[in-house]
Amino acid sequence: MFFEIVRGAVTRQKRKLLVMACAMTLGISLATAMLNVMFDVGDKVNQELRAYGANIVVSPRGASFLGDIYGVEEGVGVADKYLAEAELPRIKTIFWAFNIVDFTPWLDIMVRLDEDSAPVRLAGAWFSKHLDLPTGESVDTGAVNLKSWWDVRGAWLDDSDISGVMVGSALAAKRGIKVGGTLPVRFRDADGAEWVERMTVRAVFHSGDREDEELVATLAAVQKLAGLEGKVRRVEVSALTTPENDLARRAAQNPYTLSRQDWEVWYCTAYVSAIAYQIEEVLTNSRAKPVLQVAESEGIILRKTRLLMLLLTILSLACTALAISNLVTASVMERSAQIGLLKALGATDGQIYLLILAEAFVATALGGVAGYVVGLGFASIIGQAVFGSNVAAKGLVIPLIVVLALLVTIGGSLPAMRMLARLRPAEVLHGR
Amino acid sequence: MNILELHDVSMVYGQVAALRNVSLTVSPGEWVAVMGASGSGKTTLMNIIGCMDRASHGVVILDGEKLSRMAARDLTAIRRDKIGLIFQQFHLVPYLTAVENIMIAQYYHSMADEKEALQALERVGLQHRARHLPRQLSGGEQQRLCIARALINCPKLVLADEPTGNLDEDNQNTVLDLFHRLHAEGSAIIMVTHAPDVAAHAQRVVHLEFGRIVNDAPRAPHGISSGEPDKCAVGNMAK
Amino acid sequence: MKNHNMFFRIVFCSLLRRRSRMLAALLAVALGGTVFLGMGAVYYDIPRQMGREFRSYGSNLIFVASGHALTLNLTQVEKAASLLPADKVIGLTPFRYETMYYTLRGVTVVGTDMASARKTSPYWRVQGRWPEKDAEILLGMDVAEQTQLYAGASLSLEVVPRTGEKFVKTLTVSGILRSGGAEDGFILMPLSGLEALMGEAGTASVVEASIAVPGEELAVLAESIRAGVPGIAPRLVKRIADSETTVLARLRALVYLVTAVVLFLTMICVGATMMTVVMERRREIGLKKAIGAENKHIAAEFLGEGVLLAGAGALLGMVSGWFFARIVSLSVFEREVSLPFFLVALTLLTSLLVTLLASFIPVLRAMDVDPAQTLRGE
Repeated sequence: MFFEIVRGAVTRQKRKLLVMACAMTLGISLATAMLNVMFDVGDKVNQELRAYGANIVVSPRGASFLGDIYGVEEGVGVADKYLAEAELPRIKTIFWAFNIVDFTPWLDIMVRLDEDSAPVRLAGAWFSKHLDLPTGESVDTGAVNLKSWWDVRGAWLDDSDISGVMVGSALAAKRGIKVGGTLPVRFRDADGAEWVERMTVRAVFHSGDREDEELVATLAAVQKLAGLEGKVRRVEVSALTTPENDLARRAAQNPYTLSRQDWEVWYCTAYVSAIAYQIEEVLTNSRAKPVLQVAESEGIILRKTRLLMLLLTILSLACTALAISNLVTASVMERSAQIGLLKALGATDGQIYLLILAEAFVATALGGVAGYVVGLGFASIIGQAVFGSNVAAKGLVIPLIVVLALLVTIGGSLPAMRMLARLRPAEVLHGR
Repeated sequence: MNILELHDVSMVYGQVAALRNVSLTVSPGEWVAVMGASGSGKTTLMNIIGCMDRASHGVVILDGEKLSRMAARDLTAIRRDKIGLIFQQFHLVPYLTAVENIMIAQYYHSMADEKEALQALERVGLQHRARHLPRQLSGGEQQRLCIARALINCPKLVLADEPTGNLDEDNQNTVLDLFHRLHAEGSAIIMVTHAPDVAAHAQRVVHLEFGRIVNDAPRAPHGISSGEPDKCAVGNMAK
Repeated sequence: MKNHNMFFRIVFCSLLRRRSRMLAALLAVALGGTVFLGMGAVYYDIPRQMGREFRSYGSNLIFVASGHALTLNLTQVEKAASLLPADKVIGLTPFRYETMYYTLRGVTVVGTDMASARKTSPYWRVQGRWPEKDAEILLGMDVAEQTQLYAGASLSLEVVPRTGEKFVKTLTVSGILRSGGAEDGFILMPLSGLEALMGEAGTASVVEASIAVPGEELAVLAESIRAGVPGIAPRLVKRIADSETTVLARLRALVYLVTAVVLFLTMICVGATMMTVVMERRREIGLKKAIGAENKHIAAEFLGEGVLLAGAGALLGMVSGWFFARIVSLSVFEREVSLPFFLVALTLLTSLLVTLLASFIPVLRAMDVDPAQTLRGE
């Protein structure tokens, strides 16, 4: 009989049930969207922040950084140590290979553009190098992705173009260099012999950094000019990382001081120091250092963004829960006359609670499923509009949603049940 | 002039005729009881007289105004000015106190006046309950409050739909006493009831059956009061 | 006059004596207000607050000497600094590069204002402590590794001053600097110390500025300095400025969309609650009509109730919304929230609009109903 009443209520009271189900749909869709976006926002912002450039620099062990930031004279005592270009694809084979977004090798030499002017730095790099990895995958990596903020007039170089050169905007302005012109590049080797290469200016770029005073060519061209075939001076790596914590900081000082357990946790977490360590493992005689300017700041911004989204999610979930229980309460109370009749006919309070809950759960189940689907839609709209990519549907969201829906339904039915229990059938039926 | 005239009034809901060619005339100061079984058309008749519904056919003239052609807006104005309504289920505004429930009728009519409303309450013996909410009043008290509210704007005609239907005998007698006093002051009363002992208090009993008037007989002994009362009944009694 | 009193009496009584129902409606409106004001304030504040966070990336504007000069004049730099909005400047740090010799090998020694460098380069990590005296230095990590010197050790450098004979100076290492950048290969010391060693005070090779303003505004500031102060060439650190603008725009869009979605859903919930609350009152509307109320009376009463409800709800919502915004601001940005007046006004207006709209639709429908039918109570 009980089920017949519920079935009757469900099939014959479509409108009221629909109101409740709609409220549930709204609330659950919001919760789904917010939770999915919240869980994904870290990854998304991390991707965005990769535009800040490399967060790990790999150099040969023992070489000091005597190149400087702002174009001050070349220091004395440059170590003639190099990394092997042939080993570089191994970077994509480390434990966190998937987190390596881009990398590019660099080889800098000092050249002159005419007989007696000051020397200018010529940097060789990969631009969009196609690599076939031992794992069978293939990637395209290089400066085009890594230096996405460069403003390039003309075209980026092609990696096979050994006679092309890109000129920094400040240098181009000083020397009146135009795109399409040719440039005699003179390199004096250690023995004092001078090599001249006529290179074509393919592009003028603006980076807002010291590269504006420099020349950039393909790695192959620079290696050939300097006679350093197969050698690179440093590698810039851009990797997706997890914000650092205490463990990561201790590891960054010296990973060998960690306990075995801590070591494993550290090694298997995408901390910038762990990734740097793994790169050192695959490149012979290398030294990989996190660029703290990028790594630290990313950590801060990621943490803040996550916290912000977390708080926004909590607020919207609380609001949803309150608004929905409010609606459930209202829609149950609307039926007080009917409930009064049932009581007059001899229904016990328990039976009435059960009836109300059963109806509420039918509405919740219907609304919840619809809401989950709509919420995924909302989440992907947000993902597409803000980040241009879909927000991944996280499995963890489903149990959270179920718990939330149950809490809201029961919470919303409680005040109504309390009120209905106090109801005297006569009062309701006489409409007092 | 008659306070109410119905000529050949019919009311059709879809296929069902609730009233068929009803004609009825009520003089000023007359007390008419309408009797009939459930579904005989009593309530429909009351709704038409009370300006809450319009007849499908026929002419209704209330205090010289022809209702049949009027817009809903004008019907509301007529109802407000000329009719006092009393319901079986009392129908009070649940969140207003007794005196406020009377004042709200004054307010919609013209001007709320708390003193006058209190006098009206006193007249039905509820002065001590003026600040109570309807749910704190007994059924009889609620009905007396309804009567006070119905009379506050000095209606030409009091319409009562089963006014004693929900009341026990004591309260029924109190309410009927009030009706007698009203009648003595010269108000016209039309009262729907299915209880013969209640109908016996009226001057004239109209029987409805399947939407037709089957019997319309004066119940003589009281004698019809002469002429229209020229002053407000409530006003008189308050003095 | 008296009738106005009666009107207010009806409205107030309706709100006060139907407590549980009105509480539901009030709660709904207050929720709407909370979301509107709270999220609105966060949205409004984000670019400002996040902009400050992005300053942890370090300087976004650097000054170098213009023309053929190799060094900047610090008095000129001060002039340039006066063109910047003082409250937005996080730090302005001069760097002077000199070459000295350690066991006959050249090292780059950088003189800087240590206190200010900590602000413009918050990512620098120092093992040991920061230099406090002129004769204390920080060793870049790579230098420390090569020289095998650590905090507390002393180091003798051969100095070649601008004028006069070269001499040897012994300095104390107060700490080791790790940045992952070029600084790892330098020795850092207080600018005043370097000036005392080298002679020629008041110059710098480069000045780094960290300014909490968005990209376009920064470009305008740079332009005004280029035009206004001779001898200084300001350069935007494009990598930082550009990416900051992009990421901020994304974040802002994210919060904007989320706010819009939440607001939309909350408004629907508020509307639905109001509707159910009003729908229950069909019988009351019927009764009022039966005792002579015209549609305008009923409309006015619901309007009055709606205005009061919306006002009270919005007020409540604004208080809790402000608390929310404050919690977000304090826990995420460690800063007090700022609440623009237009947001408060907008919250009030929106609450009013939504509440009235939501209560009016059912009232309009109820007014069409025959009083006779609602009163019969089926």
